[in-house]
Amino acid sequence: MIAPTPPPLLSMRGIVKRFPGVVALGGVELRLSPGEVLALMGENGAGKSTLMKILGGAQLPDEGEILVDGVPVVLSSVREAKRLGIALIHQELMLAPNLDIAGNIFLGNERGRPGLFRTISRSAMNRKAQALVKRVGLNLPVTTPVSALTAGQMQMVEIAKALSVNARIIIMDEPTSSLTAGESEQLFAIVRQLRAEGIGIIYISHRMEEVFALADRVTVLRDGKYVGDVPRAEASHDKIVAMMVGRELSGQYFPSRPARTGSREPVLVVNNLLVRGAPAGVSFTAGRGEIVGFAGLVGAGRTELMEAIFGVTPALGGSMTLEGTPYFPRRPADAIARGVYLAPEDRKRHGLVLPMTIAQNTSLPNVGNYSGWGWLDRATERRVAQAEVTRLRTKTPSIMQKCVNLSGGNQQKVVLGKWLAMSPRVLILDEPTRGIDVGAKAEIYRHMAALADEGFTILMVSSDMEEVIGMSDRVIVMHERRIKGEVPRAGLTQQRIATLMTGRTEEQAA
Amino acid sequence: MRRELGMLMALILMCAGLYFSNPDFLGQSNVLNVTRLVSMLGIYSVGIGFVIITGGIDLSIGSVVGLTGVIIAKMSGTVLEGNSGGMGMSLWLSIPVALAVACLIGLIQGMLITRLDLQPFIVTLGFMLLLRGVSQTLVHGGSISIGDLKIAGLVESGWFNVGGNPILAYPLLIFFVVLILATYALHFTVFGRYIYAIGGNRDAARYSGINVKKVETLAYVISAGLGGVAGVCYASYIKEMTYNVGIAYELYAIAAAVLGGCSLRGGEGTILGIVIGSAVMKVIDNGINMYQFRYTDARQIQRIWRLDNNWTFIIIGGVILVAVILDQVVHIVQAARRTRRAGAAAAAAAPPPPASAPPAVPV
Repeated sequence: MIAPTPPPLLSMRGIVKRFPGVVALGGVELRLSPGEVLALMGENGAGKSTLMKILGGAQLPDEGEILVDGVPVVLSSVREAKRLGIALIHQELMLAPNLDIAGNIFLGNERGRPGLFRTISRSAMNRKAQALVKRVGLNLPVTTPVSALTAGQMQMVEIAKALSVNARIIIMDEPTSSLTAGESEQLFAIVRQLRAEGIGIIYISHRMEEVFALADRVTVLRDGKYVGDVPRAEASHDKIVAMMVGRELSGQYFPSRPARTGSREPVLVVNNLLVRGAPAGVSFTAGRGEIVGFAGLVGAGRTELMEAIFGVTPALGGSMTLEGTPYFPRRPADAIARGVYLAPEDRKRHGLVLPMTIAQNTSLPNVGNYSGWGWLDRATERRVAQAEVTRLRTKTPSIMQKCVNLSGGNQQKVVLGKWLAMSPRVLILDEPTRGIDVGAKAEIYRHMAALADEGFTILMVSSDMEEVIGMSDRVIVMHERRIKGEVPRAGLTQQRIATLMTGRTEEQAA
Repeated sequence: MRRELGMLMALILMCAGLYFSNPDFLGQSNVLNVTRLVSMLGIYSVGIGFVIITGGIDLSIGSVVGLTGVIIAKMSGTVLEGNSGGMGMSLWLSIPVALAVACLIGLIQGMLITRLDLQPFIVTLGFMLLLRGVSQTLVHGGSISIGDLKIAGLVESGWFNVGGNPILAYPLLIFFVVLILATYALHFTVFGRYIYAIGGNRDAARYSGINVKKVETLAYVISAGLGGVAGVCYASYIKEMTYNVGIAYELYAIAAAVLGGCSLRGGEGTILGIVIGSAVMKVIDNGINMYQFRYTDARQIQRIWRLDNNWTFIIIGGVILVAVILDQVVHIVQAARRTRRAGAAAAAAAPPPPASAPPAVPV
């Protein structure tokens, strides 16, 4: 060393954050150098989101210090964080769909002529925006409304927005969770480019492959505590998982289920079902005790198909039978009455009433059934909820905890518990482990396997290839709202599914 | 429960203050009058509470209150020359008809809002104006007296007469019945749970198999129905029905519900809170008349200073604003306390600025 080491771009020391009843962060360390990609990993509830909120200026830590360029700072507001060059890109993108790309990039930071109302200078904004958009590799006019963009393009707009305020620290929270493989690749290219420009990036992801492909260093949190810091060269899949869960995860991640040969008794038969917006009807059969995986790209029409089977948006034509009798739900209540349940993709919007307690959410679809004369049977409600919390090992101080205070994995367990309390015939799981940590994932897989073994039918929509291959007895691949092919368990390979997903038939690929 | 508790304390303080300034505040006739007014406001505030907790709004309540009374007056009022009087029918017919009309109005509004996916604000605003106009045409822009009908005695009579005044006047009894039924429905039944679930997250409620449209429609029927019940009481209280009875009542009901802890975003609020909120509204109203300040002027003459009645709206509006501002300030103060603590910690940890630091350049 000839010159003294420059202070790191960002360093956080001894960060403590308490919420009523919980210590969300108990002494967290973090260090980021210019031109470095730091992966931040940890199970859900490990404190990543809280740490990011603190960095983004949305919350203040109770203890600890934050230094930017070696100078202590107080991130008292989002504005202050921005001023210091910290930009946070949320998992749920924060764009105004009614404005165009340029309007979003300069939202809150509009270029205007001086004057009382600061007349917005469109041409200047558009010029500047076009340059930024080009820098992130988006080839679209900046006057395109954001509502017309794909998830991947919106992500690029978010990054352009961060660059517009000269951000030096960019935090990305699960940026690829709703991107296609191609879009993810494009994102990685931009992350690498930003790194080359000397920007520090904190990259939060549950996807191990991404972390190994991108990160220079990995910081792991567990239960709000700092576990360690590993350079990529020393990081391995097993090592990181062990750090995250605090124990060596037994080699078998997916529960082993014997492959069954021979035909199963059909439970749900879908015959030429015409889903709104689909070009043609869809047909498939799901048998007793079978886990049918639905693979496909985002927008392949899997969620829409499931919503038709659950009666959210009734199908326009075709027919279905459930255990041999006709089944055609016009609303979710019809499906629920027949024992067909859906754990939706968007838990917060469709799965849970967040301000209500675990007990109230668990009983929501069922409370009418165990309450005579409309009387609310709170004792039964609590007993049922407690049983599900125990069975699913939901981490919570009590069943009277509001769901808004739970982590993603525990919220998903509440959604599952709500349906398991009613013994399903067909359980539809749409992205059952999206945004859920490794430990909770393994538990959810175990429950899925147990349910299938009990004879229930599970339809699983998933964009996680490992999960599709690890859990499905049979995989149905969809492409542009049609079923492109079916692969039995015996012949499952990533290659085969990926081929069908992109719209080629197996013959074309061969 | 923070809002409920705060408002209860404010109510008790207000009552104590008014009693000290003017002991007549707790005199028999004033207490009876105030409880009667609280009861009548409370009846339809509870109704609107159901709608507010689902995340909706009902602006037509004041017009429903007025229309109910007008229908009763028109059907049962004394027959007069021309068509300016009533039709002389039995109250046993007119009251049920008026209540049925109120419920029907709620049903239509609920159907329009849930089946056609219209916004509650605009549907009930339309009905507010439309029903006011219906009342106006029914009374031909004038008034119909019901002072000679049996219903006129409803507000004055009741149970346990003491010195010619009932301790439990009928409006108070009706209010109690409404309270018991509403508390049961909202806090002890599956229906009530669904009301909260819809207000908390309409989509999740639908995905859980709740018949959101039915439950929500029922909330509007309850709101308009209780508006009708309150309308019967007001008719007996006012005795001379004109078309402008009940103007702006929906706004007092919304204020009472919000003071009592309901959120216009839905999912929050209790019957107890709405009752407290209604009481606060009416005690303020009464207090403006009752408050007095005795003093001796420079010439040693005893004088009494009273509030000017023209100040009523300023005071009521001010109290509503102060209540919601205080509630929010508590939130902000708590957040600020955390900020200060963290700021102090960072300052203590910060090294003194280097002497060679360049002066800040204004940009």
